Amino acid sequence: MSLAARFRCPACGADASVAVAPELLRQAAERGAARVAARCPRGHAVLLTIDQYGYIRSTLPVQEAARPDCEITDKAPLAARQRLQAILEKGIATDADALLLEKAKAAGWVICL
Amino acid sequence: MASGGYICFMRRFLIGWYAEQCVEQVKYVLDNWGLRKIVPHFLKSVGGLSALRLFTKWEDYYLYVLVDSMLQCMECEKPPTSFARAALDLARRRRVLDGCRLKAVQRPKKPYPQILESYFNLVEDVLISRACDLAAKPLEDVIPDEEAAALYQLFVSSEWYSAGRVAVHVGVGTPMRGRVLLIGAGTQEPLDFIKACQILNTRCDFAALEVDESIYSDLERLAAKHGFTAYLGWESVKETFDIAVATNVLNWTTDPSDAIAKARRLARELLVTQGVIEGMGTVFLLTIALRAQRPVSWREVEGLAKQAGWRLEKRYAKYPVYIALFK
Repeated sequence: MSLAARFRCPACGADASVAVAPELLRQAAERGAARVAARCPRGHAVLLTIDQYGYIRSTLPVQEAARPDCEITDKAPLAARQRLQAILEKGIATDADALLLEKAKAAGWVICL
Repeated sequence: MASGGYICFMRRFLIGWYAEQCVEQVKYVLDNWGLRKIVPHFLKSVGGLSALRLFTKWEDYYLYVLVDSMLQCMECEKPPTSFARAALDLARRRRVLDGCRLKAVQRPKKPYPQILESYFNLVEDVLISRACDLAAKPLEDVIPDEEAAALYQLFVSSEWYSAGRVAVHVGVGTPMRGRVLLIGAGTQEPLDFIKACQILNTRCDFAALEVDESIYSDLERLAAKHGFTAYLGWESVKETFDIAVATNVLNWTTDPSDAIAKARRLARELLVTQGVIEGMGTVFLLTIALRAQRPVSWREVEGLAKQAGWRLEKRYAKYPVYIALFK
């Protein structure tokens, strides 16, 4: 049974939660603390330090690599451009984004080197 | 004397018109009163029930623009493609088209809610800008399968659509009703359902059923990642559920009655959330362009459910989105 620990995104201040698996608590008990990566609802990647009781001790923003090797083509409809641009610049934040990028490549909306 | 008669006529006309508007508005609120109970925050974020009425007006306006553009490239009496036939049929049902006479629909003065901007941009990109092609060429030539798949993903994962689905599950408390079967789940509904579970802080116990093989391959990957069961086709489902959920799937199936009847054999309850023709127009043409089948009305959905042996437990809203719980 996983616990849910709440945290505030250091990048945007959004409230979010992360599932803390028993394995992670065991690891924290052995080493003093354990680290887990999570995403806030706005897609920012965050590195969390959790203690053996499941409390979050620190939150650090993670700088993700953009995708300068990809570009949006003229085939992409206007309605998709803003979202695709955000995915390429900020990285894939959700499963839905990952699927969209995959489909967009297949449709020729995005070309990656 | 003549001007007195004219003033009297105008007064009666205006009183009649306002009374009609007032009755229409009251009817709209009463028909959708349950929405205030189950999706209060979502409703507030889009601007309340009046914003949903405004959405219907924008839908009619875009339907008018689309049909008007299509009629520049085809004869109304002989629509050459299945999409053109569907568009004309829908325009007649929404009373935008009377026979072959187009009734002008004014552009609404109030802007649509901000959250719907991406949806109407999609309508302009996919339908309005390709109206002539859609009127004259086979659908696959205008929107190839790969593009339809990308547009589908863009559509179902858009903020407003996703937020609406999460809000309904939270409002009805679907995750707390036991083991859930998401019918025609696609790729986004399981993700939204998981989000609803997180908001309700409850265990997420569900399976997702898909009949489209290409969508199933994506669903299977999501299932492996998030730990739920994915089924391909009705025959593969070998368990029963506490509740089946059909969210905007009936317009995608060739036989909605078959889907509702099969759900009856697998679950004790059925939650239907379905955009219906009484409050929507263009959205059906958008989904038809992405390979959906046909529009449905709320009376048709309710009739089909009752025909399949379901008993209406609670109807939350009639239109533009029909939401009801059956037992």
